[in-house]
Amino acid sequence: MAQLSTAFDITRTILPTLPFRLGRAIRQYGWSYAFVLPMLALVGLFVVYPLIASIHITLYDWNGIGKPTRFVGLRHFATVARDPLFWNAFKNTFLYAAVLVPIQLTLALALALVMNQPRLLGSTFYRAIYFSPVVTSAALVGVVFSLLIGSVGQDVNTMLTEQGLLSRPIDLLGDPRFALPVVIAVGIWHTLGYNLVYFLAALQSIPRDLYEAAEVDGAGALGRFIHVTIPMLREVGLIILFLAILGSLQVFDLVLVMTGGGPYYASEVVSTYIYHFAFTPASIQAESNIGYASAAAFFMGVLVIGLTAGQLLAVRLIRQRNSGR
Amino acid sequence: MAARISSWPRGLPSGRVNVQIITHVILLGLGFVYLYPFLWVLASSFKAPGEFFRSGPSLIPQALRIDNYAYAWRYGHFDRYFFNTVVVTVAATGLVVLIASMAGYVLSKTSFPGRRLVLGGMVLLMFLPGGYTIIPLFELVQSLGLLNSLAGIVVVQVAGALIFNTLLFMGYFATIGKEIEEAATVDGANLPTTYWQIMLPLAKPMVATVGLFQFMANWNSFWIPLVFTLGNPDLRTLAVGMYAFVGENSTGWTYVCAGAVMSILPIMAVFFFLQRYFIEAVAGAIKA
Repeated sequence: MAQLSTAFDITRTILPTLPFRLGRAIRQYGWSYAFVLPMLALVGLFVVYPLIASIHITLYDWNGIGKPTRFVGLRHFATVARDPLFWNAFKNTFLYAAVLVPIQLTLALALALVMNQPRLLGSTFYRAIYFSPVVTSAALVGVVFSLLIGSVGQDVNTMLTEQGLLSRPIDLLGDPRFALPVVIAVGIWHTLGYNLVYFLAALQSIPRDLYEAAEVDGAGALGRFIHVTIPMLREVGLIILFLAILGSLQVFDLVLVMTGGGPYYASEVVSTYIYHFAFTPASIQAESNIGYASAAAFFMGVLVIGLTAGQLLAVRLIRQRNSGR
Repeated sequence: MAARISSWPRGLPSGRVNVQIITHVILLGLGFVYLYPFLWVLASSFKAPGEFFRSGPSLIPQALRIDNYAYAWRYGHFDRYFFNTVVVTVAATGLVVLIASMAGYVLSKTSFPGRRLVLGGMVLLMFLPGGYTIIPLFELVQSLGLLNSLAGIVVVQVAGALIFNTLLFMGYFATIGKEIEEAATVDGANLPTTYWQIMLPLAKPMVATVGLFQFMANWNSFWIPLVFTLGNPDLRTLAVGMYAFVGENSTGWTYVCAGAVMSILPIMAVFFFLQRYFIEAVAGAIKA
């Protein structure tokens, strides 16, 4: 009953005055609207609209020329779900993240622990060295490593073959067994600096007296690490993990530049799969099908959103448990 | 006086010094290995083509061959790529700082009707992954007539960076006390004047952080300029140009190395001069 009368009040009192109120709001807050408008317009046009439009495109068979007219419903999704090449790319994407993240975070934490020693001279210098690859683009890093592997890698091959340690030279980027692992290794090198700086900041925020108390209680270096460092790093560590997983699932530049997804799709990830289908179909002997590529992109996007939501939930749960103690 | 705590086990009296030396040896050695790819590409950019293949891993070129740079600059079109990258980076960075700080300012300091709706939408969008809507984005830019123009690259990159940076500015403006602003209002200043003459100068640290990160992101961006210049090689940025250059120059490796150095050097220089700010901004991000 109360709800009904509220609804009644709204229609009777607020609705007739709405144009007036809107006019007054614009007059009173005119500058505020003018100041958010550029942001809203750009985000609406180039972020929100493509999100909505991408759903529309997935429902059509379309080669990108003219307007999409051949409606196919959800057929593209069925095709994506049955395409072994998509699942191969999907598997490689998760493999990339599953191998890169644990190795990179372990190395970053180890380095951070070494550099966090009190009174270590030049620790800002070391920090800058390990951080510097981060400021260069993944595409350039890919080019540099391709050249390095092609040149120095060749010399190492020759040496190993002459020593009889290798029966045949290894073509690191041209061998389906090695292509993805090599890209992963370069990926680890490229973004390790971020995690190093994150971990260093987290380590430096641990109060000193916790370590002192632990030492008074007779804890050794290992004991202090297990009973002080690890519990204090848990929350921020989870966020670092979360960022590392999300970042690595969206890998594109490194793979495209170093291997183009090859050889024989051995290093194809979802983003390069989509790129090839949408923009350079000839490189994978396929016909351009924007609708199909959009469906694959949409599918992956939904998956990443699900993963993000799950991880955010995990962070929140741990926070609650920590504050509940 | 608190006891000196080290995360290292105590050893002999000289143990601490030894540990320090060993740590430095390890960190320096690893650091050299870590930077080797950069040093190698720098050295290779000065080598003669034949020398490149003969003395692969060497970091010392026999003679400094500057003409590799001249070749990459002129015939590798790096003059154009460099110009394009500078234009895109400066325009996109400036626009993000301006638009995000304006929106962040009014979102934090005024309570206009619809504010909560805008905020809710922004938070929702922030958790959506980027990159998967490239196809409709491409169609949109095409229908706006911005395909094959630097402006197309700029607006797409700016739009993609706005949500996160607006929230950053909003958070920063919220920490600035009301008094200063109220004093300005009493003096009869309207909102744009207050923003431009008082609030934006006060937000200098955030302007620096956002500017620095946007500079880096725009200089290095690859995916957007790649897709949006597929039809017009003249508009390639350095990252895209490098990718194309490698494809077109399977033999001229020393030129490619020179191109790589030209692409890396500016951003590295910015980093080394401002590395404290870079690293503090990254470290601050994780604490927040």
